[in-house]
Amino acid sequence: MTAIPESQTPAAAPRVRLRALLAEAEVGKWAIILSIAAGTMAIGSAVGLGAVAAWLIAKAAQLPSPADLAIAAVAVRFFGIARGVFRYLERLQSHETALGGVVALRTRTYERVARSGAERVLGLKRGDVVARMGGDIDAMGDAVVRSIIPLGVAATVSLIAVVITAFMLPWAGVALLAFLLIAALVSGLGTWRSAQRAAELGTKAAARVSTATLEAIDGAVEHRIWGRSGDAAAELREADADAEHAADRAAFPAAWGAAALQAAQGLALVAALTLGVLAARDHGLSPMSAAVVALLPLSAFEAVSAVPTAVMQAFRSAAAARRVLATAPEDDDASDIDTDVAAPSDATLVLDSVSAAWPGMTPTRPASATVEPGGALAIVGRSGIGKTTLLLTIAGALAPASGRVSVGGTPVTRATLGRTVAVTPEDAHVFGTTVLENLRVARGDVTEDEARDALEAVGLGSWLAAQPAGVDTELGSGGHTVSGGERRRLLLARALLSPAPIHLIDEPAEHLDTDGIDALRALVAAMRAAGRTVIIVTHDLGILDVVGEVISLDGSTSPR
Amino acid sequence: MKPLDPRLIARIGPARRYVIVTAVLGFLTAFTILVQALLVSRMLAPVLAPSPLVADGIAHLAWLVPVSARDLGAGVPWLIAVVVLRVGAVWIQERLAHRAGTQVVSHLREAVVEHATRLGPRWIASGKGAEVVTTVTRGLEGLLPYFVRYLPQLMLASTVTPLMLVVVLGIDWLSALIVALTIPLVPIFMILVGLLTRERSAKHLEAMERLGARVLDLIAGVPTLRALGRERGPAARVRELGDAARRATMGSLRIAFLSGMVLELLTTLSVAIVAVSLGFRLRAGDVSIETALAVLILAPEIYLPLRNVGTHFHASADGMAAADGAFDVLDEKPVVVGTPGGLAPSLRGAPLRLDSVSVATPDGARYAPADLSVEALPGCLTVLRGPNGEGKSTAMLALAGLIVPERGSIEAVVDGSAVQLADCDADAWMAQVAYVPQRPDLGVEGRTLSLGQRQLVAYDRAFAAERPVLMFDEPTAHLDGAAREALVGRIVAAARSGATVVAATHDTLLADAADAVVDVTAARVADEEVQA
Repeated sequence: MTAIPESQTPAAAPRVRLRALLAEAEVGKWAIILSIAAGTMAIGSAVGLGAVAAWLIAKAAQLPSPADLAIAAVAVRFFGIARGVFRYLERLQSHETALGGVVALRTRTYERVARSGAERVLGLKRGDVVARMGGDIDAMGDAVVRSIIPLGVAATVSLIAVVITAFMLPWAGVALLAFLLIAALVSGLGTWRSAQRAAELGTKAAARVSTATLEAIDGAVEHRIWGRSGDAAAELREADADAEHAADRAAFPAAWGAAALQAAQGLALVAALTLGVLAARDHGLSPMSAAVVALLPLSAFEAVSAVPTAVMQAFRSAAAARRVLATAPEDDDASDIDTDVAAPSDATLVLDSVSAAWPGMTPTRPASATVEPGGALAIVGRSGIGKTTLLLTIAGALAPASGRVSVGGTPVTRATLGRTVAVTPEDAHVFGTTVLENLRVARGDVTEDEARDALEAVGLGSWLAAQPAGVDTELGSGGHTVSGGERRRLLLARALLSPAPIHLIDEPAEHLDTDGIDALRALVAAMRAAGRTVIIVTHDLGILDVVGEVISLDGSTSPR
Repeated sequence: MKPLDPRLIARIGPARRYVIVTAVLGFLTAFTILVQALLVSRMLAPVLAPSPLVADGIAHLAWLVPVSARDLGAGVPWLIAVVVLRVGAVWIQERLAHRAGTQVVSHLREAVVEHATRLGPRWIASGKGAEVVTTVTRGLEGLLPYFVRYLPQLMLASTVTPLMLVVVLGIDWLSALIVALTIPLVPIFMILVGLLTRERSAKHLEAMERLGARVLDLIAGVPTLRALGRERGPAARVRELGDAARRATMGSLRIAFLSGMVLELLTTLSVAIVAVSLGFRLRAGDVSIETALAVLILAPEIYLPLRNVGTHFHASADGMAAADGAFDVLDEKPVVVGTPGGLAPSLRGAPLRLDSVSVATPDGARYAPADLSVEALPGCLTVLRGPNGEGKSTAMLALAGLIVPERGSIEAVVDGSAVQLADCDADAWMAQVAYVPQRPDLGVEGRTLSLGQRQLVAYDRAFAAERPVLMFDEPTAHLDGAAREALVGRIVAAARSGATVVAATHDTLLADAADAVVDVTAARVADEEVQA
């Protein structure tokens, strides 16, 4: 199910370097600078409006000629309009930059995942791939819009406010600078600490809530039968209380940060007002300058008040970036698949006492077999015994725990995967495109006639005839628009069209009815007649008559 | 999306006190903003005036901030006190406001889960159960901004904004008029922009979603492409689709951000107009310097809640969509079997009968089982047999009192007279049934066991409970030779000791050991109707 908390970051999370990431995302320096400039104009307009309006009122109080007010009046109106316009431009520019970065990053990550070690790729769960390359990369784009640019704007706008104030009354400028720095630093640190606590406590609590929810709904029938519905509800209530407590703890540092921000703004006002009034009264500061100095803190803190949100986003984006890097590490050696592998002249598959295991798992019992071209082999065994692991080892995706797999005397490697030895995994993907394009996944030059013949061979002839658009019928992503049996047959047709001399199929009989099993038999016979080798992994002992040899991972090897 | 969802408001319940705290703090903050504005005006005015100030420019509010505050020595301590009060309000708000959100979300989650468990096994099995888990966990978390940020701002916008307007009206009616005229323009312009751009943005949104889905589709297929040695081509396609999606997104954002611009433009421009008008009227001697300063400081504060409402409304959109999903679940009618608080006959030694029972499949096209009649006697093993999909499991669910059949009746023969399940209390009935489904759920600790091991633990529990009726769905699946024979032996032994045992299976070993075997068949609804 999907209710698994997101931040299950591996212990040895790679460090994220912002500069490298921006380079990778092809985000140019100027795109960022342009966004910050527009943002500075937007919030700067609010500061400008505040300053010029203060000047205008102070000047008006001196009863000047109306012409003396005219320029200030125009400036006030200009800032009134500029704020909305520049804010609009800033949002467009920053989103354009971020979206472009997301596209580049997604493409790079796609390439890296596609080329990384096959054992890594084939071990990925579809939901994980989509979460890493979907939401997580979007979150990295959000870093530009909601973190980098607001922080830049906060710095420039604050600087402008400080310079204006210091120009009129240096000590007031120093005071404003100090309070702005305190506001940014304390609220930023408080938020960061909150985000950390939320990640530590909140993630655990959220996982408990997910489990309790899942438990209450999935186990509803049995809870009723055994009179334990109350227990499940109580566990959920406890988990919720836990989550509430975690949220409470996490809110604590952020509350101090927000209070510090407010205090800094308030004290900046007190300091500026006092200094401004005293300087005007005792040291000849002009009334206009006094008004600007005293009232500027009211608008100068708007940019800095975006710091907590920006820091929170930075924390989230960094976590997302770590997850992406953990899925697609930069250092994974992908060079081996860049060299094209010629089809071997001799496609005899030899398993020499091969046992398979993921790191840290118990290896499967050693298996030996020699399969000539046109032969067929089945691997059977209880679920969980390592059938699929052995299949991946034979495919070259996973190094054998012991023994050797070779084709025509050459050991299989990641490089031969898909070229010499192709695989149809149990959860192979049906793409959201036409039937024909889905078959072309196996080989790019499949013609419409070849596609029709292949579909006929797997018993989808009548299904195809019922589709108004024929082989151009659009399928839903993940194959949701076809039944389980139709999906399985489509994958078998794809296997039939694959050019690899050896083809491995995981659980080919799953979801197939009697007719489907017959089609599977015909398919294997056709592939064998074409001189191709077929290896199947199955727990369905009823289909073993399609193969010449069986390896049982439970018991002994029994030639048939 | 409505600005205020009454179903959500109704759910606030015990979290009300935190909402009230938030409201009180909002008022306190508004009050401090007002006093701060008046204090600053009082203190700043004397150095701006060309001659000593005599007239009181904010006489209306002199009871709140007296003229003596013009002196720095008197005003500054008050200003510091106001700052402290405001800091305290912020601290308490940030410390407590989220509790309203987390508590409402918790209660809503518990209510939805509790309700979902009463929607019956078939609703859960239909895949909606999995959806609900996602909705009430990650989905509802998106509601936090609704309660923590949006709702308080909405309260402020509907209370503080008019109050501040009244205050300004008391000081300077012309400025109040300018503000009062622009405030209604905000919603009017936003609705207009929304209407004018709705069609275009819907089209853009659709293109954006379609392209986004295709990129994700390609990405989801990476392992498959790699397994076929075809992973190199699609990278260019990922970029192409991504670029197209980016263009579509920018197209829709260009429109979506317009309403934000209108909001900013109207609110900031009217503050500017107020400022300019004050300047010229001050020059003409129509208003006093204190009045001008106070209005200048207060004018942006009138608009602030309005602007925040807009921002936070969008931030809560995801959560509100999840809330819709949650309320949809709450609107589903629970499955009620039997009569709550009805009869509670003892099933020990009572023959159980299914009489011409038909249950419609979820799509309504078939009855599975169709017209099934079974008599399960105490002390006997009764086996329901038939291919997958004919309704064996469904018949067991009906007999266990978990679902209601469309047709036919279920009864127990107690002391010679038939008692209908429909008249019984389902919980009392169920409490006498030990039912083990196909994939028994043993809770968290069971997740680490294999399916076969889980099965054995579930059967141990069922036998140990010594309930009068035992129901087993495919008991021997996932078990190998020896374990299978042992389980069949235990099932037969339980029947011999007097229990009423019903099992659904297509295992011949179990069927051979049965005292009675009933074949279960399905039928198309239409066929049946024709026959009838």
